[in-house]
Amino acid sequence: MTLSVKKLATAVGASVALMAAGQAAAEIKIGVAGPMTGPVAQYGDMQFSGTRMAIERINEAGGVLGEELVAVEMDDACDPKQAVTVANRMVNEGVRFVVGHLCSSSTQPASDIYYDEGILMVTPAATSPALTERGYDLIFRTIGLDSMQGPAAADYIAAQNPERVAIVHDKQQYGEGIATAVRDTLEDKGVAIAMFEGITAGDKDFSSLVTKIKQADVDYVYYGGYHPELGLILRQARQADVDATFMGPEGVGNDGITSIAGDAAEGLLVTLPPAFDQKEENQALTKAFAEKGEDPSGPFVLTSYAAVQVIAQGMEQAGSTDPFEVADALRAGTFETPIGTIEYAENGDMESFEFVVYEWHADGSKTLAE
Amino acid sequence: MQDLLYFFQQLINGLTIGSTYALIAIGYTMVYGIIGMINFAHGEIYMIGAYTALIAITGLATLGIAWLPLVLLVALICAVIVSSSMGWAVERVAYRPVRGRHRLIPLISAIGMSIFLQNYVHLAQGSRNIGFPALIEGSFRMGPENTFQLSISYMQITIFIITLVCMTALSLFISRSRTGRACRAVSQDLGMASLLGIDTNRIISATFVIGAALAAVAGLLLGMYYGSVDPLFGFIAGLKAFTAAVLGGIGSIPGAMLGGLILGVAESMTSGYLSGEYKDVVAFSLLILILLFKPTGLLGKPEVEKI
Repeated sequence: MTLSVKKLATAVGASVALMAAGQAAAEIKIGVAGPMTGPVAQYGDMQFSGTRMAIERINEAGGVLGEELVAVEMDDACDPKQAVTVANRMVNEGVRFVVGHLCSSSTQPASDIYYDEGILMVTPAATSPALTERGYDLIFRTIGLDSMQGPAAADYIAAQNPERVAIVHDKQQYGEGIATAVRDTLEDKGVAIAMFEGITAGDKDFSSLVTKIKQADVDYVYYGGYHPELGLILRQARQADVDATFMGPEGVGNDGITSIAGDAAEGLLVTLPPAFDQKEENQALTKAFAEKGEDPSGPFVLTSYAAVQVIAQGMEQAGSTDPFEVADALRAGTFETPIGTIEYAENGDMESFEFVVYEWHADGSKTLAE
Repeated sequence: MQDLLYFFQQLINGLTIGSTYALIAIGYTMVYGIIGMINFAHGEIYMIGAYTALIAITGLATLGIAWLPLVLLVALICAVIVSSSMGWAVERVAYRPVRGRHRLIPLISAIGMSIFLQNYVHLAQGSRNIGFPALIEGSFRMGPENTFQLSISYMQITIFIITLVCMTALSLFISRSRTGRACRAVSQDLGMASLLGIDTNRIISATFVIGAALAAVAGLLLGMYYGSVDPLFGFIAGLKAFTAAVLGGIGSIPGAMLGGLILGVAESMTSGYLSGEYKDVVAFSLLILILLFKPTGLLGKPEVEKI
């Protein structure tokens, strides 16, 4: 309801401006596509909350190139089929810039349509490396890639000067991908990899694996995968007196690990995106969210906010609202956003995305690792 | 010395897991021995046993009862009672009405039961992994300090002892008791046993109940040993136990025990000396080899086919 009132207000505002100024103060439509319904709708809420705030603040500051931004929000339910429908509706609405989609699986089919129709898209959440490997020049991200987490973890491990490291993964795309990246980075840095081994996701008995880790006498164990398996490995390892430090990607960093591993989760290291809303320079923005009764701490709120900003700043720098010119400007420039200064590689991935290492505690809380 | 300790450690890991496979495998093998049918819902009975034990333990913890023997005993009794009644009910609902029909019909019915139970637990308990409290902690250690030490956890010892007790009790029951004798008679010839005045329906129910009780014991032990339960807990364990039963010779109780131990040791040796990725490959290759050269399994009797 608030939404339609807001839309009405902007429309009224725009027509008033039109009459007053006597010139075409047209509006720029920003499509926002994400899940409003379905199993991951809570992530969609973060996305819409971030984009609404960004558009509101940009318009308050005078808009872009003297024009107002107007959101066109649509629900793809993170369903690849519905994402295609949404993408086609965006085309019909005359949208030329899209913030979305959220899930990698729905971003992929939608991006084909946007690319064919010359629409620029910035996804605030999809992390699959495959999205930017197809040579599309109108797709950008305001989030890191799965493959960026591995090197971040490896850098941390290498800095501790370990003698030997064991790497275990669950043989799935996400887990094995990250584990391989960790191995390659560690090898480049000259750290000895004592073992690199896969397990079967869903397995419960890791006693043999744990014995092997113990025999290898390693200082660090990196695990690529999700919390159900790591939780059991941690627990069975502590039972067998393995004293190595364990580390994992964000897939293990949730309260499930506490429930399964219990006290054995103490000291586990996890790479996660930093808490952007806690940063000093974002305090004004965090306060603005709080005044609206919204919470900016969700992982996709500020990446979505940044996605709108990147588009707006790209248009300013290009001096144009043509998606191709804006895309060129995005590849050329740098952009100040709440998630840091963004620079783009040729394929539309961020040049760097910060991951920080947290230390997990038995009670489920986490602190920044030294 | 180091290598020897490592070998023994893997052997102990394998025997621990193998003895619980054996406990579950007995359920498969007894039902097959008597009515010639594979009870595919058996893995789910085991999973329900684990959940019941967890609920009992959590319940006692909220009441403030923490005396370990009591907690274990109550959890065990609850798990055995719930699983046994479940085993009995499954037989009544899904198998008895279709007994004596074409052999595919009870098979489909069994698979349906398995899907039903799995999804029931999904709905009732959620699909997340739930952590099992570690009740028995600590271990015996052997070997010099600061090198690889052989460690046998108290949990592993508990598993050995409870499994041994269950196996012995079952063997005595089958060989000495009246019902045990009736079980053997029914397994040799169901029709003849019935003619001689044995209540075959009762014996078949008893078989399901005994199998389910042993599965519940395994559920409690493995839940504590592994550290978590989820609704798919029974699927893989059921598959492995079924393999163990076939390996040892389906229909033979000593065969199920032997098959379980062999499978457990083969798995742990493979992940210990090759790689965890080949664990299942070796386990199932072993099964294929044995079936090729000895189709009745290691201890199976050659004349299983009844006309």
